[in-house]
Amino acid sequence: MNRRRTFTVLFAVLLALATVLSACGGGKSSDGGGSGSPAASPPAGSGSPAGSGSGGGGGSSEAPKPVTLKVLWWGGQTRHDNTLKIIELYQQQNPHVTIEAEFTGFDGYWEKLSAMVAGNNTPDVLQMNFGEYLTQYAKNDVLADLNPFVQSGIIDTGKLDAGIMESGVVDGQLLGIPLGMNALTVIYDPELIQKAGAKEPALGWTWDDFKEIARTVHKNLGIYGSPTLEANNILEYYARQNGRKFFNDEGTGVGFDDRIFIDYFNMQAELIKEGVMPTLDVMQQHSALEDQLIVHGKAPFDVRWSNQVVALSKAANRPLKLTVLPGPNTEMGLFLKPSMFFSVAKSSKNAEEAAKFINFFVNTLEVEQIQKGERGVPINSEIREAVSQALDEVQKNMFEYIDLAAANSSPIDTNYPPGSAEVLSLLGDDIEDRILFDEMSPEEGAKKFREQAAEILARKR
Amino acid sequence: MPVATEQAAPAAGTAFRTRRRKRKTGGYRNLTGYAFISPFLIGFFGLTIIPIAMTLYLSFTDYNMLRPPEWIGLENYERMFTKDEKFWHALRVTFFYTFTAVPFRLIVALAIAMLVAKIIRGAGFYRTVFYLPSIIGGSVAVAVMWRQLFGLDGAINTILRWIGLPGVSWLGDPKYAIWTLILLYGWQFGSSMLIFLAGLKNIPHEYYEAASVDGAGKVQRFFRITIPLLTPVILFNVVIQLINGFLAFTPAYVIFGDGRPLGATLVYVLYLFQNAFTFFDMGYASGMAWVLLVIVGVLTALIFKSSEYWVHYETKGGR
Repeated sequence: MNRRRTFTVLFAVLLALATVLSACGGGKSSDGGGSGSPAASPPAGSGSPAGSGSGGGGGSSEAPKPVTLKVLWWGGQTRHDNTLKIIELYQQQNPHVTIEAEFTGFDGYWEKLSAMVAGNNTPDVLQMNFGEYLTQYAKNDVLADLNPFVQSGIIDTGKLDAGIMESGVVDGQLLGIPLGMNALTVIYDPELIQKAGAKEPALGWTWDDFKEIARTVHKNLGIYGSPTLEANNILEYYARQNGRKFFNDEGTGVGFDDRIFIDYFNMQAELIKEGVMPTLDVMQQHSALEDQLIVHGKAPFDVRWSNQVVALSKAANRPLKLTVLPGPNTEMGLFLKPSMFFSVAKSSKNAEEAAKFINFFVNTLEVEQIQKGERGVPINSEIREAVSQALDEVQKNMFEYIDLAAANSSPIDTNYPPGSAEVLSLLGDDIEDRILFDEMSPEEGAKKFREQAAEILARKR
Repeated sequence: MPVATEQAAPAAGTAFRTRRRKRKTGGYRNLTGYAFISPFLIGFFGLTIIPIAMTLYLSFTDYNMLRPPEWIGLENYERMFTKDEKFWHALRVTFFYTFTAVPFRLIVALAIAMLVAKIIRGAGFYRTVFYLPSIIGGSVAVAVMWRQLFGLDGAINTILRWIGLPGVSWLGDPKYAIWTLILLYGWQFGSSMLIFLAGLKNIPHEYYEAASVDGAGKVQRFFRITIPLLTPVILFNVVIQLINGFLAFTPAYVIFGDGRPLGATLVYVLYLFQNAFTFFDMGYASGMAWVLLVIVGVLTALIFKSSEYWVHYETKGGR
């Protein structure tokens, strides 16, 4: 009996230790470069169809030597299905190429990719994001310069939007080919605005018009006039329309002075106080895209990226319209953003084949007929025109908005420093919430943001 | 803790000696033994010990996973302790969470265990039913369900309104957000309950009978017999749950994402995760992992040290 108790205790101690160790081990095992991300990543499965794939001695006279390309992307189920179909199409047309597809959701993607890079296992073609991610991977020399392939004509940029192509350039090197375009947009419910007796927004409107419409709707319909605005996106626009950038060119701090920051937040603080905008605790209950205030008819406005309109309209199940963000100087603030890039790994042994695949992806009509704008509005003008014939109402709105935005915008700022992810998290998860919860004045917030951003950027250089 | 150590030491001593002797005589047989446990050994060293050792090294480096790690000495720890407000904030949140959620879960587990222990018919069914939340507990689906339950127009608020109380912004208000996580943790009491149940079944019935004969009431029996005789099991549960509490991640991550609102749900491991995979600061995250290991280790040691004052072993007459 005695002994048994002792053993129980000993066993408990051992078990406790084992739990601590294994739990910590589990939490960290992936930084060893190893044990994989949670997301499933089955291989393409499609393989190459029986007749064409193997051998290569079939019909083709040149018989290029067989290559295997590894392609990695993030996305939802629709994108996975689409991309696998596109890959199949490519393999049919290029029997010597076998593509190994790997894909996950956006959560887990960067974890997976960095583990692959650390393990010298970088995929040949990988989906890349604009901003902090592109900078990060560029600075660490992971991505290949695609300029040579453009010069040799392997990637045909003739019909690609030149402005958006600039977004893939870092220090003179072309590190990614944009797969689609987005722009910030104001989504509005025309019916609600009419019912409240306010004037519909249109190109040339200003923040004052925005406030007035929001107030009128709030007063006459008893609903919110607008949700609060996400600083991570809108503050950049606000800084740009005032002639500044979000980050300074040296990459050492924010690119705008406190005045801009304070004005931006004062406008919202004012509207929250009047009840025109909801308090943050209400906003946080509506965080999912399908659950926004505008979807439920609780506000006439929403401000977000144009590609999200499709999902939003579907959830709202009524016609929503798009217009540019409020001025003055809309054209200075607004910019076209690449929805994502395809990049080629510097370490790829088949860079040329990888470039050919990317060329196929952006310059083939069938590809876009499969995708239907899921990766954003196509950057190839000819394809854009061709597919826009066969779009539904919502998609057509989105395409038309991109045309409007293209005509009323200026190039995107590409000077995102390596620490920008942490700076954006500081703003979006911390300081913005404090200000909107009225725990911190916009003045304090401006100062704190400027100082801490500089600290982060200095550390991450 | 005189009880445990006095007896553990000789026992372990003899075991050690016999093993020694064997090793001298039969090296081969040992080799076979090692071969048999090699799957464990490989896993233990390859997936546990070596990665842990790696993180110790990485914690002294600046490592973003894309470039080779760069030695920076104690800089990570210096920043953590002197400059990083968020680190201290996450620690505070985690301590509050753990020291509220763990007692809550244990009390619920004990209460249910005592109820289930009384049931004779269909005990297996009830045990299974009460254990269910723990099986599905860590999953994303439950976290999503929690979001719905505590939403502005969710089930909880609907019930509150029925009985005439105002609805509360459970998930959006920094005051309440952490409590939804604590409730979730308490709800997953299954494994603790089973251990308590086993402990309860081990208490000889004669004690209760004798106590009743002497005129002890229910409350007295609970505090004088049940609790003292259960203390070894309580100790075990406290240690395991405390460790679990400090490692909480999934519910906070799925329900609140980035520690919202106002960082009220930024538990330690969530901040660690952000550093590693959002801010690309694996060196710093590794340092944080080691700090957590030390904290949990110290707390566990303290609990064991304190156990001599409150853990009773039947064999010593239940001091």
